[in-house]
Amino acid sequence: MILTIRPDSWNFPLLLHVGGAMLLVASITVAIVAFVQSWREVDPEGSARLFRFGALTMFYAALPAFLVMRLAAQWILSREHLEDSNVSWIGIGLGTSDVSGLILIMTLILTGIALRRSRRGGGLGKLAKVGGALPLLLMALYLVAIWAMTTKPS
Amino acid sequence: MGYSTLLFLHVLGAFTLVASVGVFLAILLAVRRQPDTLVARRMLPAARVMWAVGGLSALVFGIWLAIHVSQYSLTDGWILGAIVLWVIASAIGGRISAGYKNLGDGSLVQSQALVTHGLLVALVLLLLLDMIYKPGAG
Repeated sequence: MILTIRPDSWNFPLLLHVGGAMLLVASITVAIVAFVQSWREVDPEGSARLFRFGALTMFYAALPAFLVMRLAAQWILSREHLEDSNVSWIGIGLGTSDVSGLILIMTLILTGIALRRSRRGGGLGKLAKVGGALPLLLMALYLVAIWAMTTKPS
Repeated sequence: MGYSTLLFLHVLGAFTLVASVGVFLAILLAVRRQPDTLVARRMLPAARVMWAVGGLSALVFGIWLAIHVSQYSLTDGWILGAIVLWVIASAIGGRISAGYKNLGDGSLVQSQALVTHGLLVALVLLLLLDMIYKPGAG
């Protein structure tokens, strides 16, 4: 096996990209645990508290981490002059990132509406279930992205 | 097992490890703000499992990679440094986990918890820096 040493100038954007991706996965994990525990909680007040914790984590942690990961990905692509590359692992990375961005926005909207309803005393409802389930889909997409970024299928 | 598979499993372990640190921080935040022991209690088992699985797989597959790839050696400074950082992080993670054992009875010393969590974040950040920059690698 021959490994190539990347130029030093690629390290910082790569650090931001990988660090952002790790924060993104970590915050989505926190949200998933909170949402799943919210579904399992029998006490409505406790369930609402767990759901609120998950929803706020998505907004305050997952959204900024996604932006850092995505912007740093574009930065390193330009450093490596790969913006127009047809390599499949880059395609998988950009594809999962764009689709996950849309799902992230949908999650924020649905959980935000569910939170507002819950504050008015209407309970969490079905929107909370759908919004809370979407991070599971995000996690599946990020597993594919991690696989593509590390194994680099051509 | 080939290089790509080993690298995938190593990185997956590292992501799981960072995710567990995220859950530990979420627990600390919940305990400090409310103090919300319901959120903390419900998250603790997940944090413990992910910490153990992520930490172990990152180390095992990392060492396997170092042995598998001819350009790397276990005695390389950046690899030895990573192992030392991992050992210290493991000790601190174990301490954090033990600190949450009696959650809810008020025995958790929050100032200490803040320091240990901060140390854990710093160590994980150092590990990431070490893996990306590989100081001393040819």
